[in-house]
Amino acid sequence: MKESHGEGTKVKTKEGKGIGRSYIQLGLMALPTLFFSAFLIYIVAWNLWLSTLNWSLLHSKPSFVGFGTYAIVFKDLFFKVSIYHSTIFSLGLVAIGDAVGLLLAGLLYYLPNTQRAVYLSIFLYPMAISMATNGLIWDWLFNPELGFGWLTSHMGLPRLNPLATATSTTLSMFLVEFWAYTGLAVLFYLASFMSVDKSIVEAARIDGASGFKILFRILVPNSMNGFIVATALLFLFSFRMFSLPFVIGGGPTNLDLMTLVEYVYYRFYTEFFSESAAASTIITAIAAAVIIPYAVYGIRKWVMRG
Amino acid sequence: MASVRTENLKKIFKKGKSEVHAVDGITLTIPDGQAFGILGPSGHGKTTFLRLVAGLEVPTDGYIYFDDDLVSAPGRIVVEPEHRGIAMVFQLWALYPNMTVYDNIAFPLRNAGVPKSEIDKRVREIAEELGLTRVLNHYPREISGGQMQRTALARALVKNPRVLLLDEPFSNLDAAIRDGARALVRRIQRERKLTTIIVSHDPADIFSIAEVAGVIINGKLVQVAPPTEIYDSPANETVARLGGDINVIEVKASDGIIYISNSVKLPSPIPKLEGRFRLGIRPEDLVLSDSAEAPGMTLVGRVKVKVSSYVAGIFRTLVSPIDDDSIEILVNANGYVEPGSEKNLLVRLPKVKVFSEKGESLTLPLKS
Amino acid sequence: MASYRARLAKYVILQLAGAIVIVFWLIPLYAMLIDGFKTNFEATATSVFQLPATPTLSAYIAVWNSMKRPLINSLIVVIPVTLISGILGTMGAYFFYVLGEKHPIVSNAGFSVISLATFLPVESAFLPLYLFEYSSHMVNTYWGLIFAYLLFYIPTAALLMSIFMPVVPRYLIEAARIDEADHWTIFWKVVFPLIVPGFLSTVIFVFVMSWNNFFLPLILTTTPSMRMVPVEERYFTGGYGTLYNETYAAAVLASIVPLAVFIALGRYFVRGLAALGGGAKGV
Repeated sequence: MKESHGEGTKVKTKEGKGIGRSYIQLGLMALPTLFFSAFLIYIVAWNLWLSTLNWSLLHSKPSFVGFGTYAIVFKDLFFKVSIYHSTIFSLGLVAIGDAVGLLLAGLLYYLPNTQRAVYLSIFLYPMAISMATNGLIWDWLFNPELGFGWLTSHMGLPRLNPLATATSTTLSMFLVEFWAYTGLAVLFYLASFMSVDKSIVEAARIDGASGFKILFRILVPNSMNGFIVATALLFLFSFRMFSLPFVIGGGPTNLDLMTLVEYVYYRFYTEFFSESAAASTIITAIAAAVIIPYAVYGIRKWVMRG
Repeated sequence: MASVRTENLKKIFKKGKSEVHAVDGITLTIPDGQAFGILGPSGHGKTTFLRLVAGLEVPTDGYIYFDDDLVSAPGRIVVEPEHRGIAMVFQLWALYPNMTVYDNIAFPLRNAGVPKSEIDKRVREIAEELGLTRVLNHYPREISGGQMQRTALARALVKNPRVLLLDEPFSNLDAAIRDGARALVRRIQRERKLTTIIVSHDPADIFSIAEVAGVIINGKLVQVAPPTEIYDSPANETVARLGGDINVIEVKASDGIIYISNSVKLPSPIPKLEGRFRLGIRPEDLVLSDSAEAPGMTLVGRVKVKVSSYVAGIFRTLVSPIDDDSIEILVNANGYVEPGSEKNLLVRLPKVKVFSEKGESLTLPLKS
Repeated sequence: MASYRARLAKYVILQLAGAIVIVFWLIPLYAMLIDGFKTNFEATATSVFQLPATPTLSAYIAVWNSMKRPLINSLIVVIPVTLISGILGTMGAYFFYVLGEKHPIVSNAGFSVISLATFLPVESAFLPLYLFEYSSHMVNTYWGLIFAYLLFYIPTAALLMSIFMPVVPRYLIEAARIDEADHWTIFWKVVFPLIVPGFLSTVIFVFVMSWNNFFLPLILTTTPSMRMVPVEERYFTGGYGTLYNETYAAAVLASIVPLAVFIALGRYFVRGLAALGGGAKGV
């Protein structure tokens, strides 16, 4: 697929043929990845095109409207609500997940090895379970008669009903999201901490630093890697939330919880296809804006130093 | 200042099914204010011993005392490292990469709650003494190896420790600046009369700084003596090799004469020596000459030169007895000697060491 | 000795804090496990925290009947997807790595694309995907499902393996090139053996993520016989299911495969990922 300019063409010996053939091999090996990646770009572009139409229930023969669909979408109450939710869920998870993840990683750092491994697995297991299932179980836990409400009433406290008001519903969902994804932050912070040279930590101990001091003055400042990875992952995982609010909200149209991705689905099944595609494109744009600089700087710096 | 005493100190590591006796019953007393060096091959327990004294490892058995206070006991740390009043300079210096040199040095003082003005005063004092004033605002990654090492030293000294522990402090420095670094550490130790334990596999570090040295081989303390005594009267062959270059030759002794070969022989330092032994003689205690005499030396025979090469100010010359080509002896010559030529070999007799076939020294001076 | 007691107290507090956090994290797992063994009456009458008075398998038996087929479907789709994405994605990562030195622009662009593909929500791409598969008659087929999954998970695998690639020093590949090895040989004989831990991590991650993927099977299957586990589970929940104990049993059955994989192989996953977050010094 790709002939190099230098070696492949100049050296026409057996070696030269080998190199040339080798580049073809390389190209073939990369082909599936490139093909599927390209196909995905094609899909994104198709989405973009669909969003410039006015295809919907009302216009089954769609025509080009340029920015018109976007204008409708931006004015839509559901859209405004869902962008609000997506933003606060994502930023909230980043802030709290990063902070708590850091503290938990610090806690794990001081534990003996086997206990640390077990605890880490416990923080991570929610990711092995589908988000729909997670939402389901938490929905039951939020039940005022049978879930936490039962516990609190038996302890003499008022019966807890996390899904009673709009605010409490939002907070409850946030709790589930926190429970599900913070493990990632713990993992990467812990890895960062453990990569700090042990002798530096020992020197700090001899210099009289307490556990907390070592955590905040030595481990954290040297864990930029962990911070970048954890933050990016927390943002991206919370940003694409769909099944969680779906289950806890009882459907995609729960105004207390609707996220951008739910909006895409909602517009789809109400047959406003172009609106759905417009929302999809906006999501793609935001995801790209976050992930691409990270990919270009973060990962490349990591890979290229090898 | 404090004295450091260990009683039958042991540390056993489990590697899978096998046990490694890193430190195997070391009893040692280092008096207050002494510079004590620990010499030994890599991996034989020197660093483990140091870490035990620091409190970074828990003894499997044995006790450690600072002055008369128990600090470590079998299976437990009685006094933690941060409360022992120690300072440690690690092999890779362990500077805090996210802090400037100033903050690195100030760190232990800040942890101890020393008032800010006092911290500033002490940091600047020690920086001045160690020539770090210019780099106080720089980060460890921006300064040279020598400066990093002095920063680690400054950080250790700024808290006026009772005991200073140094773990191979010069091994990561360029050879050219090691001498200066050794002189600096020696001066600091003597001026402050600071109880110091320095661990190294390089005898030059020990000889330049230590007043007394202990040799640890396979986790056991093999010899404790001033460095010159370890050099001249090593307890066994391994210690002799640790001290520096040495020729060890298999010889036969009979009738008070030691035979290197049939024609190269010398009077035995031990009367009535009979049997097979190993002779140890350092290259600097041998001389090649055309004459049969040299002050303080004894003629032992005639040798043929095989190779002569120049290394660090010395002509390392490999010679063999003219009647036995298989025996090779290294001599430090003053000048180039033509390979193939024949010379007289002279020996400084008092420096000859005789080892048994198992390597134990038979020429140790009698101790009163 | 005061310092010894202070140290002990600090350690106790550390363990206590850890225990509280761990209990919080385990609550949902606990609820999920015990409530599937209740009779339906018990599930509606007792709280989720109480143990079943008379544990019974009735819920599991009922759920198993409808879960049998979806479990097989999930296995048929997820296993090939995992293996194929793993291998092909690794090849893609190798491609970017080899290219990276001399053609950074291509490499950069490639990275961006596969990163985007990894993190783009499936839901935002489904409309064109559905249209494509509908017109190619791929809807409701195993091939259609596998194709759709590969669309997202090959780039994911490529991205993850790109992060593990630097374990292989460039000079090793160069030495192999000088030894006249072609890229296929280099990949299998030089590179792959060195990145097995990373490969395991990637494969575990892709397996768990694709098993739990809810949206793709939702839109790409139309008959009950083709349903996969996450979708089938949905029918026991919320508005559909009124037998609450079956809800839990369904949840357990749906999660048991990925959980088992996570528990059995989790340490490799953690070790592999930790290496990249920490600079190749493993946990």
